[in-house]
Amino acid sequence: MKKSIKILLSIALPLIILLLPIGIIPLEGITVVEQRVIAIFFFAAIFWILEPIPIYATSLMIILLELILLSDKGLKFLMSIETNGFGKMLLYNDIMHTFASPIIILFLGGFFLAMAATKYRLDQNLARVLLAPFGTKPRNVMLGLMMITAVFSMFMSNTATTAMMLSILAPVLAVFKVNDTGKIAFALSIPVAANIGGIGTPIGTPPNAVALKYLTGQDYISFGEWMMFAFPFVLVLLFIGWLLLLSLYPTETENITLNIKGKFLKNQKAYIVYATFTVTILLWLTDFLHGMNSYIVAMIPVGIFSSTGIINKNDLKNISWDVLWLVSGGIALGLALDKSGLAARVITSIPLENMSPLLIVVIVSVVAAVMANFMSNTATANLLLPLVAVLGTSIASLDTFGGGQMIILVTTIACSMGMALPISTPPNALAFGTGLFETRHMTRPGIIIALIGIALSYFLMFILQISGFFL
Amino acid sequence: MEQLFIICVDDQSEVLNALEGDLEVFDDKMNVEVCDSAHEAIELMDEIDQNGDFVAIIISDQVMPKTSGVEFLAKVTEDPRFDLTQKMLLTGQATHQDTIQAINLGGIGHYVEKPWKKDDIIAKVKTLLTRYVVQKGVDYNDYMDLMDQQVLFAELRKTT
Repeated sequence: MKKSIKILLSIALPLIILLLPIGIIPLEGITVVEQRVIAIFFFAAIFWILEPIPIYATSLMIILLELILLSDKGLKFLMSIETNGFGKMLLYNDIMHTFASPIIILFLGGFFLAMAATKYRLDQNLARVLLAPFGTKPRNVMLGLMMITAVFSMFMSNTATTAMMLSILAPVLAVFKVNDTGKIAFALSIPVAANIGGIGTPIGTPPNAVALKYLTGQDYISFGEWMMFAFPFVLVLLFIGWLLLLSLYPTETENITLNIKGKFLKNQKAYIVYATFTVTILLWLTDFLHGMNSYIVAMIPVGIFSSTGIINKNDLKNISWDVLWLVSGGIALGLALDKSGLAARVITSIPLENMSPLLIVVIVSVVAAVMANFMSNTATANLLLPLVAVLGTSIASLDTFGGGQMIILVTTIACSMGMALPISTPPNALAFGTGLFETRHMTRPGIIIALIGIALSYFLMFILQISGFFL
Repeated sequence: MEQLFIICVDDQSEVLNALEGDLEVFDDKMNVEVCDSAHEAIELMDEIDQNGDFVAIIISDQVMPKTSGVEFLAKVTEDPRFDLTQKMLLTGQATHQDTIQAINLGGIGHYVEKPWKKDDIIAKVKTLLTRYVVQKGVDYNDYMDLMDQQVLFAELRKTT
């Protein structure tokens, strides 16, 4: 019952916008095609917020609707030969290309790396080796766990990283004393680190991928450049998160020993995995030497792992196509806004010049973080980033602070700051599922870390600005 | 959304009542149904399948008149409609021969002796349910509190 109301409401709103007499819409000279884009945008927004269908399904529906309503090979009754007032149709192949956009391929490459690392137990063995120097003191072990989780989630999905680390941690937490609040700190440390760690690389988390769509041309940021500023940011925020969790939920336990089983595999395929992993990351970081951009480098693990049978036909089923398609939908949405001319019209029609640029940055990032708490981080990025990109190009006064690039980066980071509720991110849901803490235990550190993280992102942008990064 | 079912089969009504009571935690998000014979269970499963719902777990007694538990489970194992259905044999008096057959033909995921302990059977049903949910591709978020965490983690690690 509740669900049918949700669906009805979700369909009604965009339908009303679609059928509105065009004169009512307060944008001068708006075309029929642009009105359809607005309707599709509202369709996306309400479906991603209320989630009457899975979020990736909404993405696919966006692409389908664009193909029917906006493309040059769509329904012919919806087209007009007269371009005056009707607007420009999109090329259908441009819309379909979003499925194989370079950004999607970059993520596919990341997926292949992560899958091979898991299959050949590189992740677990690395975790064991890296954790050893942190000893057995709980506070040190927690820092070790958080750093490893964060670094792993830069290359693997935040969910898979969390699942691995929690499965290592769960047997240890089971023997903690009943009243020991340290249990809460440990259980929270994993999702906190995974959520923060995703910011570290372009492939760390899907919102970063969405951001890449808007960081093109002069605003292009290479893999290495991204890591150069994002990696230190992650480390600082992680350290703050660690201190916060320690002080909020101190532990009485004196020693903890994590027992991670296994040995590094020593066979030909395993060596290929180790080598490919290393080479791919090195190539990602050194594009200025060899000229291949990160999208092209991403095809290297795909090619090597497929041809050596390291990733076989059966493994392909484990690829999160839903994540890729969720991003495709976001790219398609941005494409429609841009190519229909709606984005440009919004820039010229709405007087944004008089607004304080810094106030806009604050509003946008807080809105992003709040939305990301209640809905998917990726869907938040899909909805906000095209609008933010418009803001970035239209507000000239932003240029003194880093312009479009700066506001896109701040928003992208804010999309990863939604971590106060179990429903905020899959890592949060998994940690909450252990039953070791209640929602309120997650909310407090989640909100504090998000606020600090947003403030820290402003500081980061300030540093990037004075160091000439945005020029 | 598809409903998930747990089907308990035993010819003794007091056993079924006890089982139903112990599995109360599952009743919130799924359906726990009881049947007093294999025949009734098969009819119920037909109906569930027809409605597009899923039989996640069967918990069956071994010693029953007409069809024994192992015979019933073997039949289910051969049925492609229920290929992912998890099976548990619950028995107090299985012979050595029964046990061999249960493993070889019944495709059972777990063997529980009567009398059972409530916590044990709940934990075991959670494990089987988690396997079913991840293999079937049902959204685990809807059943988070009924999941065996370790099984879920192991499964999620494999995805990207």
